[in-house]
Formats: sequence, structure tokens, C-alpha cells
Amino acid sequence: MLSEFYEWGRVSSTLVMLATRAALTYWLWHALYASTTSSAGLNAQQATTYAMLGVFYIAFRTVNRWAARDTMVQHMLEGTIAYWFLRPVSPRRYYCVRACGDLAYGACWGALAYGVCLTTGVISPPVSTRAALATLATLALGLVILYYLKLLIDLACFWTVVNFQLVIMYEIVQNVLAGALVPLWFFPGWFASFDRLLPFQGTLNVPLSLYIGRTPVSQLGGDLAVQAVWIAVLAALSTLVWRRAAARVTVLGG
Amino acid sequence: MSALTVYRDENPGLREQAGLYRRITKLNIKAQAAYRGEFVLGLVFGLVWQGSMVLFAGVLLLRFPGLGGWKQGDVLLIASMRLVSHGLYVATFANISRLSMYVQEGRMDGFLLRPLPVYRQVLLTQFMVPAFGDLLAGLGIFTLALFRLDLAWTPLKVLYVVGGILGGMLVEAGVQTLLAIPALRFTGMFTWANWVDQMISTFGNYPLNVLPNPVRDALTFAFPVAFIAYLPAAIVTGHTASTGIPLWLTAGAPAIGLLFFLASKAAWYRSLRWYSSVGG
Repeated sequence: MLSEFYEWGRVSSTLVMLATRAALTYWLWHALYASTTSSAGLNAQQATTYAMLGVFYIAFRTVNRWAARDTMVQHMLEGTIAYWFLRPVSPRRYYCVRACGDLAYGACWGALAYGVCLTTGVISPPVSTRAALATLATLALGLVILYYLKLLIDLACFWTVVNFQLVIMYEIVQNVLAGALVPLWFFPGWFASFDRLLPFQGTLNVPLSLYIGRTPVSQLGGDLAVQAVWIAVLAALSTLVWRRAAARVTVLGG
Repeated sequence: MSALTVYRDENPGLREQAGLYRRITKLNIKAQAAYRGEFVLGLVFGLVWQGSMVLFAGVLLLRFPGLGGWKQGDVLLIASMRLVSHGLYVATFANISRLSMYVQEGRMDGFLLRPLPVYRQVLLTQFMVPAFGDLLAGLGIFTLALFRLDLAWTPLKVLYVVGGILGGMLVEAGVQTLLAIPALRFTGMFTWANWVDQMISTFGNYPLNVLPNPVRDALTFAFPVAFIAYLPAAIVTGHTASTGIPLWLTAGAPAIGLLFFLASKAAWYRSLRWYSSVGG
């Protein structure tokens, strides 16, 4: 996390990126609703709030480990991945602590942006206290799902050696299927049905739909159960993959 | 007497230069193909990335009747022109956006020593496999836009669209070339280059007249996203009254793209003296 402050360009770029993207998203959604009051069951304020919170959610992945040459695939290519297995901390725990630091840093940006937009009236507050608590609960589980998904993608480099494209492509797919680009309510029915079979929408669409009141809080139990199942499946899979990965560490150069 | 042969660069002609480009690109593709899985994913990546942006625009256009007075087909024309110009940019100029990484890896020192223009060497550092997917997505959406447009096509209009696409490619290359100036000293610039790429991919697909005037002006004169596809599409579809700039400037978008790129490249060459090797 502290590597971000090594170059202030990274911090300033994050600030400008977040502000610009949020502002353009706000204007775009208001322009879309200029000729209608409701679309896909959402009014202008609900759609704008959802879309803007989606922008802040992308900010959770702010830490630029690429520039710090600290992504798993870079360690793999440079051979420094070996150190992960030599330290007194297991690579699995080290990865988890690192991810928590990244999340804490990204969450600071997200919370800052959320606070500014909420106080200026750009986005709406949660529809009720119960909805706010439901949002926080599902968001927390959603972040755990997000952690495991990213972990599995990173671990793929133990087999492929190079997985740059896979990492970037995962982020795009994650943004689309979670609803970070366009609220999932705007997609056709078949797309939503297909997406329900995947873990992605639990990371963003579920908490945001509760937040804006598009999904009633009475559905919380079912949503939490689905998220819990996904966490159990992904955790079991990642344990298995970590074991296999440790048995086949390749340090390039012999 | 040594058998060493010294090859001298004696102002090669266009044919020799094209041959050199072809040979280096062939080697670069071969190098990328060494990791087969990554190579295939690279082919798919461009399609997925640009496809997601098209999905974004498509879903909104299906749900809403139009945008800022532009009909669905008109907006699709902006998106498709931007996509094709972006695909061409990725195939030819995208390496300049990675300059901060090349500086960090020490490759720039090698570029300065070889008998080839430095800028050209940067562009030929590696072949961008996602360009195939980018171009495929762009051409697909462009075909779709042609069916949705209600336009009387003339040879002049077709020529202007081609010029607009090339101009859009050069604007994107010019913006990234300008960003590559600070990249000669600051390795964190890749984040900015990536941000510019994302901003253009996300917001370059819409008529900019939906934005407040100061923002529209900023996206025309400070960060010239408008010249990539919005202004050329405005000429083709007849939405010139809402661009907020004189007609001659709107119509001159392709030429402005070329001038902007040449100015950016000249500024980059002048800035080479600021280059500082990461090794000191």
C-alpha cells in the first residue's frame, strides 16, 4: 500500500481519474434521462447513484502494483516468487495481508469520494437504515468473493508463466458482469439470467440494488446465502490451487 | 584483417523502411507467440475490452431513445469510428503509451544507441496482439452502424469518414506521445497513459454536446477527445450546430489530428534531452 506514495504521480493520478470519471458518469446519466423519467425500473437519481457507486467500486482496485513491479506474474517472471516460499510467513497469508492493505487503501479513496458526493447531493443516501446495513453486509461478502476471484486469476501464472492478458481481461469481465460499467437492470433478461449463475453480481449489483431500493431488504437472506455458497466454493478451490501451485513453482533461469 | 562487415544506414528509401518494419513486426509476433495461451488471450482481449465498451453504449441506446438530439444510428457511428481508429492506433502507435515501462526496464538506453530513429524504435518494441481484436470489434460495429444510419452516402462522405478515422488514430497517438514526455523521467506515467486510454474508450463514444459547455470545451481543446470521432461524425450526420465550435474547425478534424500528432512528436523529440536513465 505504501508503495503508492513512492511516486506522487500515482496518488495525483488516482485523484484526477476518480474525479473525472465520476463527473462524466454523472453528466452522462443525467443526459440519458433528459427525455424520460424512468427506465428499467430506475429513475434518474437511482441510476446515477448506482452508476457513480460503480465508479467508486472500481477505485477499490486502485493500488498500482504493476508500476511497483510487485504483481504475482512479475515476481514469477523475475524469479522473485521464490522468496514468497522462503519467508517465515506462508505465501497464502502474505497474499491475503497484501490484499487487505490494497483494499484498505482503495476503500479510503472510495469513502472519500462517497462522502463528497453524498454531502453535495450528487448521489442519494441509502433508502433506509435497514437497506444501509444490508448493503454493508452484502458488500463485505462481495469483497471476499472479489478477493478469491482475483487470487485464482493470479495463481494461474504458476501454470501459464505469463498471464498479463488474463488479469486485464478478468478486470473487464468483472466490471461488466458485476454492474460497474452499466447497472445490470438495464441489460436484457437473458443476460441477467446468465449472470445470476456466476459469482460476479454478488460483488456489486446485489449491494447496490439494496442501497438504491431496487431490491427489497426482505431478499437479503437469499442474497447472503448465495454469496456464502460462492465464498465456500471459491475458498475451497483456492486452497486446492495454492497447494498445487506450491508444488510446481518455476523460477525462470533454473 | 577482420572479416567484420559494417552495415551503414544510408538514408534507406520507403521500400527498405517498409521491409524493416515488416521484418521487425514478424519477429515481434513470433516472440509474442512463444507464450501460446497468452497470445490467444491477447487476441481475445481486444475484442472483450472494446466489446464491453460497445455493450455499454449498446445497452444504453436500446433503453433510451437517443442522446443529446442524436439518433441511435448516429451515436453508433461515433462509437464505431472511434473503435476503428483505436484499433489502428493500437496496431501502430500503442507502444508509445508504454514508454515509462521501457524506461524502467532500461530499454530506452538501447534505443538511443541504435542507428534508427528513437520514436520508431519505441513503436516497434513489441507487437500489440490485442490490436486484432480491437479492429475486429470496430469493423463489426461499423458495419452495424452502416445498417442503422439513414444517410445518403457520397464518395466525398466515404473519403471523409476514412480521413476522420485516420485523424482519430493520430489524435490518440498525439495525446499518448505528449504523455510520453514526462514518462522520460517519471516511471509512474503508465497509470496516466492507462487512464487516458480508459477515458477515451468510455467517453469517446458519445456526442459531447450532452456535457456542460466548459466540460465539452475541455474535451475539445485541452484533452481533444472530440476530434477522435465526435466531430467527424457530426459532419457526416449533419449535427454541426451543436458542436459549439465553428464549422471549419469541425470539418478540419482529420487535418487537425495530423497536425496535432506531428506537433506532439516534435515536442517529444525536443524533450529527449530530459531523459534520465533509471540506472543514473
